Amino acid sequence: MPTVSVYVKSFGHIPELMGLSRSLITQHPMGRPLGAPGDGERQRSVVEHALSLLGRTEQTIEEFPEAYRLP
Amino acid sequence: MSDSVPANDNPDNDKPESIQELRNSFMYGSRSDLNFKFTRDLSDAEFGDFLSELFAATARVADGADPLDVVDVAYRWQVQAYAGHLGDPKDFPHRKDDTPLTAFTKPLNEAKIMVLTSSGHFVEGDDPEPFGETNMTQAEAESRIVEFVRSEASLSAIPVDTPAADIRVRHGGYPVQAAAIDPQVVLPLEHLRSLVDAGVIGSLTENAYSFVGATAQGHIKRTYGPAWAQVAKDQGADAVLLIPI
Repeated sequence: MPTVSVYVKSFGHIPELMGLSRSLITQHPMGRPLGAPGDGERQRSVVEHALSLLGRTEQTIEEFPEAYRLP
Repeated sequence: MSDSVPANDNPDNDKPESIQELRNSFMYGSRSDLNFKFTRDLSDAEFGDFLSELFAATARVADGADPLDVVDVAYRWQVQAYAGHLGDPKDFPHRKDDTPLTAFTKPLNEAKIMVLTSSGHFVEGDDPEPFGETNMTQAEAESRIVEFVRSEASLSAIPVDTPAADIRVRHGGYPVQAAAIDPQVVLPLEHLRSLVDAGVIGSLTENAYSFVGATAQGHIKRTYGPAWAQVAKDQGADAVLLIPI
């Protein structure tokens, strides 16, 4: 089954250590992997970015480029 | 203000609390705060540097600086503690899986996507009732974290059209405040529905799934991995969005 994972940076070492297929790392605090509460724009951007990685055919670990923010 | 030592995790209260005991108290101790449980994994000197930076940022915010300055200090030390100290491959408890990745061959706008998260969310009225207990509080879940780690995982099915107001969360392993205020910080059902409406995604499976990830990881991989992959197949998923907490 094709998968893509979203990890916060605190656990961003795990995809490489476990050999996960496709991963997006966010610069967010633990417990907020997609964004801050109420920051729907960021949450949706992270989801879209993650889903865009599904087409990758080799192991991919990519960092979401923007820092955590408050809405 | 008293200069006496406050209640602490030192069983001998006649002794001053050590810095190590203070650091440990944030991780399921007398000052338990899962946002800051990483302090257990800092050295005493690093803990001092963290507090110094936190105090300085707090003072700046008091004088009008961006409140994110405080969040950023906590975030950077959280990353250093987890990735810096726990990211050493020789300390990592699981073997690397070199299974070739499964190709995603369908266009995303035709694909059916399933979400699986370890966030501990469930639908109101469908409490997974850990250890047979109804309405377990978050505080109790935190206090029983060792039992959770040793217990079997329970997968909660969450229909993807469930309103956010009907979704609850309980998880003794991470700070759930954000996920309780807004489930979409980790369970993005509304965003996925809107991506379907916008034609970015073909469709969603009937259910999303969540479980309490504070459980034996090797056991999950060996036992639940194949079973939950079958759940995804049974739901007709073409791909799974995994959001570990």
